[in-house]
Amino acid sequence: MVKAFSSLFKVSVDFSRSHLLFPKIVTVVLLLLLLAIFLVYGIPYLRDVRRGKRTLSVSGKQFDRLRFFGTIVLTIVYFLSMDYVGNFFPNMGFGFLFMSVPFIFLLSLLCVHGLDRRKFLALSLNALIAPTVAWFVLARLFNISLP
Amino acid sequence: MEILTLLSPMSVLLVAVGVLIGIVFGAIPGMTATMAVAVCLPLTYALDLSQGLALLLGLYVGGISGGLVPAILLNIPGTPSSIATTFDGHPMTLKGEGEKALKVGIVSSLFGGLFSVAILTFFAPLLADFAIKFSYIEKFLIILLAMTVIASLSKNLLVGIFSGTLGVWLSLIGTYDISVGGNGKTRLMFDFMVPYLENGFSLLPVLIGLFGLVMILEEAEKGYREQPLGADVNLSARARFSLGIFKGQIVNLFRSASIGTFVGMLPGIGGSAASVLSYTQAKNFSREPAKMGTGVAEGVIASEASNNGLTGGALIPLLSLGIPGDSTTAVLIGAFTLQGIQVGPLFIGEHLPVWHQIVAALLAANLIMFVVMFFAIKYVAKVITVPKYILYPIIIMMCVVGGYAINYGVMFDVWTLLLFGVFGWGAQKVGIEIVPLIIGFILGKSAEVYFVKSLESFGTLTIFFTKSPIAVFLWVLIFLSVGFSIYTTIKDSRQNKQSGRDA
Repeated sequence: MVKAFSSLFKVSVDFSRSHLLFPKIVTVVLLLLLLAIFLVYGIPYLRDVRRGKRTLSVSGKQFDRLRFFGTIVLTIVYFLSMDYVGNFFPNMGFGFLFMSVPFIFLLSLLCVHGLDRRKFLALSLNALIAPTVAWFVLARLFNISLP
Repeated sequence: MEILTLLSPMSVLLVAVGVLIGIVFGAIPGMTATMAVAVCLPLTYALDLSQGLALLLGLYVGGISGGLVPAILLNIPGTPSSIATTFDGHPMTLKGEGEKALKVGIVSSLFGGLFSVAILTFFAPLLADFAIKFSYIEKFLIILLAMTVIASLSKNLLVGIFSGTLGVWLSLIGTYDISVGGNGKTRLMFDFMVPYLENGFSLLPVLIGLFGLVMILEEAEKGYREQPLGADVNLSARARFSLGIFKGQIVNLFRSASIGTFVGMLPGIGGSAASVLSYTQAKNFSREPAKMGTGVAEGVIASEASNNGLTGGALIPLLSLGIPGDSTTAVLIGAFTLQGIQVGPLFIGEHLPVWHQIVAALLAANLIMFVVMFFAIKYVAKVITVPKYILYPIIIMMCVVGGYAINYGVMFDVWTLLLFGVFGWGAQKVGIEIVPLIIGFILGKSAEVYFVKSLESFGTLTIFFTKSPIAVFLWVLIFLSVGFSIYTTIKDSRQNKQSGRDA
């Protein structure tokens, strides 16, 4: 009886397939949890949606589409261009330096509210100085690799 | 104070720089100590471990402490951990006692910080000595315990466990590494992903994305609004600060610092819990509880002593077990991996000088924080007026540096940053909690090795229960923490129903 019970827990691990054992367990647990969450919270939520009490949209009341998607698009362009430009000057960090200036300038413009001459001057200077200082300290002084 | 001589002048300088930058990050609402450490990690690439840690620990202490400035002056907690400082700090400002409130907060922070350093110094080696005897089985159970504690203390038990498990799952993407006894095969990915994800997602870009970019995206969603500055940010010295305020508050100081340190030790719960918990305790024990919340020093003392107490506490499980106590120490793990050092029970014994320097740096960070904030508070208070349109682009730029340089120039790491930034933003929208996820991500790979290797050598699942008395004890703790959270969930839902009926 005891033997039969303990053999229930016997596991032999095949080394060549051992890389799949733990991920499999975690995936199953993850799916079970997802199911549980759906049962506990998802169904009442959907019921509320059907009754018109709630909407499916998860965004808050104020959602600044321009600034949100603008930030993401700018960041993607920044990453792409920095890699591209950086390939022309290997190991100099110029891709980072040359593309950070316009990126910071444009993102600042996107962020700012109530732009006036003083703010424009401040953000332009910042866009020039910040990347230059960062590039000089990191790439030149500390020899850190930059794109 | 002899221990301070262990620090080289360079390290002291780095601690000071760290504290200063940290205070700036802490003082700007929305930016946290975790972010300060994540964004400044690339600066440590060129430093050795003890110098890098000097900088990062300075950032940690400065970041936690800086949060009190806007909490008191603007009624906006600069970091989540200074949330309870607003309860009494801002009313004090309204009464014209702003400077007094700030200085009370600073002195309490110093006390909390020093208290936690003392506990860390005493407790971490002890715990590590104990943990050295652990085999893979106990180590696996420790991780399981850490995960259940995180889940049971998160806002929602089920979602908390899910977040932690998701973190583990994400960490398993990549190769089952030969260096830890794996078979070198990849899993959880399609063939075309292999060139990029052979080694899985790097820890640092994931962290920087989740803590740096997510915050920027959240701000972008809200349209990068500048904080409306109250007209009364001037610090009128109508009420002068004197140490006499602390008369009768010694018990409060000790209690709050202890709560902070203890909360810090529990993995995954941040400073906001510490701050609120010790505030409510101060209120429970107060002689005049009705006055709390109207602008009394007692409340500021409770909140600030506890959130700085957190710093040393959170380092205890990190340095003795390799399990981060909060999100900032999770990022600190990145700094250790960067130097090729694994934190765990062996760390203190094998790297004794580094351990001493950590204690010294933490001590120095607290003292420097005190000097800077106490004597230059008027200038520090101005920091909260730095506009976001200057700051945020610089932060994204620093995130890029951190992501790119970690593996000496891999562009995929920069994309990882963006990927996890957007993922984290969306995940928070549907209620997934970032801190359990991160801790799961950090511990996932070790958990796998401990689990699979245990099964390989013992061949039965029962070994996890029968290996040693410690294993049994750990199971008891695991069941207690799960039981506790189920109990509180049921209690809360009953209360909700009750109040729903009353309303």
